[in-house]
Amino acid sequence: MTLGFAEPWLLLALAVLPALWWLLRVTPPPPRQAVFPPLRLLRDLPPTPHSAARTPPWLLALRLLAAALLIAGLAGPVWDAAPPLRGNGTLLVVVDDGWAAAADWTDRVRAVDGRLAEAAQANRPTALLTTVQRLNAPPLATGDATGARAALAVLKPSPWPVDRAAAAAAIASWHGSGEVLYLGDGLRDSGWMAFARALAAVGPVTRLDPGRAPASLMLPALPTAAGIVARVARADLATATVPVLAQAADGRTLARVDVPFAAGATVGRATLALPPEQRNRLTRLVLAEPVAAGLSPVVGAGAVALLDAGARRHDVALPDATGAAASADVATGQDAPLRGAGYFLRRALSPLAEVSGGPLAATLAKHPAMVLLPDRPVLAGSPDATALADYVEGGGLLLRFAGPEMAAATADGVRDPLLPVPLLIAERQLGGAMSWDRPQAIEPAPPNSPFAGMAIPDDVLITRQVLADPAADLAAATWLRLRDGTPLVTQRAIGAGRVVLVHVTANADWSNLPLSGLFIEVLRRTLLLSAMTGPANEATGDAPLVPQQTLDGFGQLGPPPAGATAIVPATLGTLRVGPSHPPGFYGPEAARRALDLAANLALPEPSPALPDERLQPMRAGAASVALGPPLLGLAALLLALEGVIALRARGLLARGAVAAVLLVACWPAHADPPPPPAALSSRLGYVRTGDAAVDDVSRAGLVGLSAYVRARTAATLDEPDGVVPGGDDLSLYPLLYWPVTPGAPPPGAPALTALNLFMAHGGILLIDTRDGGSGAGMADGAQAALRALARPVDGVALNVPPLTQVSSQHVLARAFYLLRDYPGRYAGSPVWVARDEDRSNDGVSPIVIGGHDWAAAWAVDGQGQFPYATMPGGERQRTLAYRFGVNLVVYALTGNYKSDQVHIPQLLQRLGQ
Amino acid sequence: MSVALARDAERVAAGLPALVLAAERIAAGVRIGPHGRRRAGSGFSFWQSRPLSPHEPARRIDWRLSARTGRPFVRETEWEAAQTVGLWHATDAGMDWTGDGGRTTKRDRAALLTLALAALLLRGGERVRLLGSDAPPVATRLDAVAHAMAELPAETVPLPQRLPRHGRAVLVGDWLGPVEDTAALLRAFAARPVGGVLVQVLDPAELAFGYSGRVRFSAPAGGEALVIERAEEARERYGARLAAHRAAIEAACRSAGWFYRLHVTDQPAQAALLSLWATLAGEFA
Repeated sequence: MTLGFAEPWLLLALAVLPALWWLLRVTPPPPRQAVFPPLRLLRDLPPTPHSAARTPPWLLALRLLAAALLIAGLAGPVWDAAPPLRGNGTLLVVVDDGWAAAADWTDRVRAVDGRLAEAAQANRPTALLTTVQRLNAPPLATGDATGARAALAVLKPSPWPVDRAAAAAAIASWHGSGEVLYLGDGLRDSGWMAFARALAAVGPVTRLDPGRAPASLMLPALPTAAGIVARVARADLATATVPVLAQAADGRTLARVDVPFAAGATVGRATLALPPEQRNRLTRLVLAEPVAAGLSPVVGAGAVALLDAGARRHDVALPDATGAAASADVATGQDAPLRGAGYFLRRALSPLAEVSGGPLAATLAKHPAMVLLPDRPVLAGSPDATALADYVEGGGLLLRFAGPEMAAATADGVRDPLLPVPLLIAERQLGGAMSWDRPQAIEPAPPNSPFAGMAIPDDVLITRQVLADPAADLAAATWLRLRDGTPLVTQRAIGAGRVVLVHVTANADWSNLPLSGLFIEVLRRTLLLSAMTGPANEATGDAPLVPQQTLDGFGQLGPPPAGATAIVPATLGTLRVGPSHPPGFYGPEAARRALDLAANLALPEPSPALPDERLQPMRAGAASVALGPPLLGLAALLLALEGVIALRARGLLARGAVAAVLLVACWPAHADPPPPPAALSSRLGYVRTGDAAVDDVSRAGLVGLSAYVRARTAATLDEPDGVVPGGDDLSLYPLLYWPVTPGAPPPGAPALTALNLFMAHGGILLIDTRDGGSGAGMADGAQAALRALARPVDGVALNVPPLTQVSSQHVLARAFYLLRDYPGRYAGSPVWVARDEDRSNDGVSPIVIGGHDWAAAWAVDGQGQFPYATMPGGERQRTLAYRFGVNLVVYALTGNYKSDQVHIPQLLQRLGQ
Repeated sequence: MSVALARDAERVAAGLPALVLAAERIAAGVRIGPHGRRRAGSGFSFWQSRPLSPHEPARRIDWRLSARTGRPFVRETEWEAAQTVGLWHATDAGMDWTGDGGRTTKRDRAALLTLALAALLLRGGERVRLLGSDAPPVATRLDAVAHAMAELPAETVPLPQRLPRHGRAVLVGDWLGPVEDTAALLRAFAARPVGGVLVQVLDPAELAFGYSGRVRFSAPAGGEALVIERAEEARERYGARLAAHRAAIEAACRSAGWFYRLHVTDQPAQAALLSLWATLAGEFA
């Protein structure tokens, strides 16, 4: 316990205190000077009650005390409670360097190094013991503290747990005694009791307290059909929720989920539902901790759960072609660039799934989510047919494309068991020199089809196709048909799986479908139907898995260390990480397996106190108390008191009091009518849904959009506000963003009245169902929730005018940028506004309805990053999303002013005439 | 003429026109009352015309009237007797003070009153004599009075000897010195005998004593100083003492047959002048 000073030389000023005392003593408070002619009349007045011409001693003491406090406070006294080490015998420093110590490793090294420096100054013999089991570790030996400091400097935390039983054995074989300094990771293991006894046998134990809760452990992720289940084991029961970041291989964070813990439970879990294309990019889940600017991943191997191929849902197999298509000629083969069906399929699927090739049997062995067979007849009874039938019946999805070979096989009468519908022998040629027919366009999908709601471009034309044999159940088996009613996509469920046939080729020979975006959408929606969950464990065989990339103690992937050895797949279920098996990826790239640190590890458990331990805070700064500010505060208080006394002595107290009273009286007078902050500057608003995650996204999105609008336009938008309709004054916001969530309680009558008033008085409401184009199952119930909004509550209904789709002629498409579509995080679904004929609001639509999850696209996190990836993706989509936001804000701020833009061509034309 | 005197003259010339103008402006507001002696004598206003008596010098003949009537006539004017009024104002350091920077000093106000009174008197045909100066004994022009006033030394005492018997005197000052001195002075004037008016010019601060707290009071001339700890507590006693002082002066005036007038510098000079003139005129009437 020492008292130190930051600026000790300032204490020299204390020497002037006696001089100050002398000055204060001989100098009474200066009187006011006044010249007064009738001085004679004053001269011999009867004596007034005498006030001291000299300063009274107590006032003198007060002033001297204030001055002394001022000097002492400025000198920056620090009360350092961190005590020096006791004793002067041998010092045994024991450091836990397992995974749990990685998060604050630098602080730990610094703390121990400080103690070692003390020991080095005292020239104490020192021994350093690290508790992680190492290969070829030298036995514990006594040396000097300088050597221990050097050893400590190169020490790194290990990506596996500590072994305290081994440490206890090392201490026992050391036979030393003295004093123990122990910096633990706060977790107990099976060797804890022996370890505690071994420490106590050495001598008095001083334990350094890291000052933070023991680390939580990220358990291996469980891939399920609904999503990836993140599991976290907490050692500290006070931890309420733990944020988990899902990161791609390049380190970008694609999603975030908060893992809650039930009261008293050690393990918490949360499901991370992601669209397949994002899910496939994930390589790791990382624990995060809140820092000043958002979330920061926790450092350490224990905070990382690696996602191997098993977590990938969509492996798509494109077996190598056989027969004519398998010819070595790259110009005509299946994978011929720009021509082959495989080329089109790979390009279309590349953002959605991993497409792997190889012989059919090998690709099926990996249990792909979908198998693609472009123009390949399957002969009944052949090994291929058997394998494919097994795969489909086991839940596989087989997507076939027609083609000349299939047509020829049908003409030859080959029986193909894996066709969804029987085919007619004749193929159909539409258009061309010898045909009266014209190429056919595609009809919008029937509602029961998974392709329902897809935007069908008119210019996708089919020129040749194979025809299905008309049967009674053909309509039910058809997912997509041409304008003339002939099926284009047919399907049939076989066992747990499904066969889907596209009646044209996968290349551009028979139609221009593969050249259009519709092709990708068809593939994407088909892929979503797959029920396969990836390869089972036994699928990889018994080949030893060589370490490919391993985690270091800080949770970074890198080349495996020298001691890492291959593992046998069968032992994966029981293997524990250690020096020879660090956590990481094992096995070949295509089928790599993740060995997580937490695999087969006991759940973390906080360690009990050591017997007779003395606890010290690890950080020196944590225990030291800066005494300067309180001293300065006390000095200021005393000086203020002295000022009051001086004022009173000079008879100015009343004046000072009046001034003080006036000051106090004026203070609230100025702040009396506080204007609502929202009224002072224009800003956007979002409707609070009650779901904290959705509200966070809304807020982050509007923050990002406001910044973008500030940067690009003359509009200056302040921080957005969350509002509750019916509770807050909506009239202050030009634009309200309202994410409709299925779980949100329906707004009550007051809220609906407020929203109707808002819309009737020029406000614009942007309703976002956050489901448009995201794929099935992403936001279940959003449409139902939207419909529920239109239902009257207590006789009040949301006043939704007749709607129409936003056209490129609409002001919204021209208010600032010229836009053709209005993507957000998703793209492709229509956006609805009030019909133009509605003149009640100057033609300005009071409501904009869409489902592109715009806020997520606009969202910017604390580091200026975009936390939510766009889908199908790309910077262009995000830019367009921002542009739509800018247009919307300008539309909200200027109303129909910009509608003149629509008429500019006509105006120019008239001017020309 | 020495250089110093020339410099003083310039200073005086610079300040005088303003003072003279101010005095004349104030005096213009006061009407001079009837002052004729109601009989023929030397004067300017017409009294009567009478036939020329024998043995009268021919230059007395009013030739215009005589030409109209054919007989020699003499034009007589009314006799206007001139009174000599002695004027004095205090010029000591205590007079050169004001309790508020925006207010005129007591000395300036006293000088203004004196000069304005002189202007009135001169317009009325009276003679004016500055009692404290070595200036020409009788001044008949205002600028001469002003010059004489400007050249007054720092401290003067009014000398009754410079007035003719039964003259009149107007003494302006703050009279804050010992009452005995003032009473002795008045007695000396009364013994001459000279009657008159004693005007006490005070600053409002001297009447109200608006000080509080710890104040160090010093005399205007310097030297003497007095520290009062709680001036607000001394206010009442000072007020009583000042009232007693004024009462003593007024009593001394009465006993000498003089009039006492108080003038406070925050009030217009014209009011004081009017009161003073009325007093003098009433006395003269």
